[in-house]
Amino acid sequence: MNKTHKEAERSDILTEVGKLIIPFIQVFAIYVILNGHLSPGGGFAGGTILGASMILHRLIFGWDNLISRLTYDRVMKWMCASLLIYGALKGYSFLTGGMHMEVWDVPLGTPGKLFSGGFILPLNIAVGIIVSITVYVFFKLFYEGTI
Amino acid sequence: MRKVLSVALALALIVILLFGVADLPTFGKAENPSNNEVSYRYLEKGVEETGAVNVVAGIILDYRAFDTFGEATVLFTALITVIAVLRRDEDE
Repeated sequence: MNKTHKEAERSDILTEVGKLIIPFIQVFAIYVILNGHLSPGGGFAGGTILGASMILHRLIFGWDNLISRLTYDRVMKWMCASLLIYGALKGYSFLTGGMHMEVWDVPLGTPGKLFSGGFILPLNIAVGIIVSITVYVFFKLFYEGTI
Repeated sequence: MRKVLSVALALALIVILLFGVADLPTFGKAENPSNNEVSYRYLEKGVEETGAVNVVAGIILDYRAFDTFGEATVLFTALITVIAVLRRDEDE
């Protein structure tokens, strides 16, 4: 890829608007993920918003930024960790619930509060991480050919 | 020979799938197996059993979390496949 060509396209307006708007997009994405059990949204929707904000960041600020340094090793670590956490949490819940074992179960809490709903909040976070990384890496792979 | 075999295989698959489709219940009938007590259970006891106000989240991440696990695994597998096919080395 011709890097100088892309850098020439960058304008001051784009950079300033990006600086202004990207934090809001990411806060909104985190809000959607964390409130997945309270309001419409959840891991898939919030992860897509987060991935879109990362794509925007990549387009505006280029490669030499912290968020763009999502290397192959980091992608694999985050994805595998999220999947393993998901599998472990829900596997525990399914096994103990399906076999009617009287062991510790995560308390459900008051419906409507942020910390309620048992495993739904951590599962939403895991799904959000997976979806955001997938969206971003797909964009980057098809756009530049490298991860 | 290979063409004949592949056509025969495709025809066999089509016939099997069409038999499966022919056995499906008529759309919209009241006594269909999809109109059972599960949806009422989800709507009536969902908040109480999952603790989530959003019933959709309660269904996809509690009652049917295994299905969502499969979806996440599909994303993971697609990502690994695309990386394996499209990834270039840095020095190329």
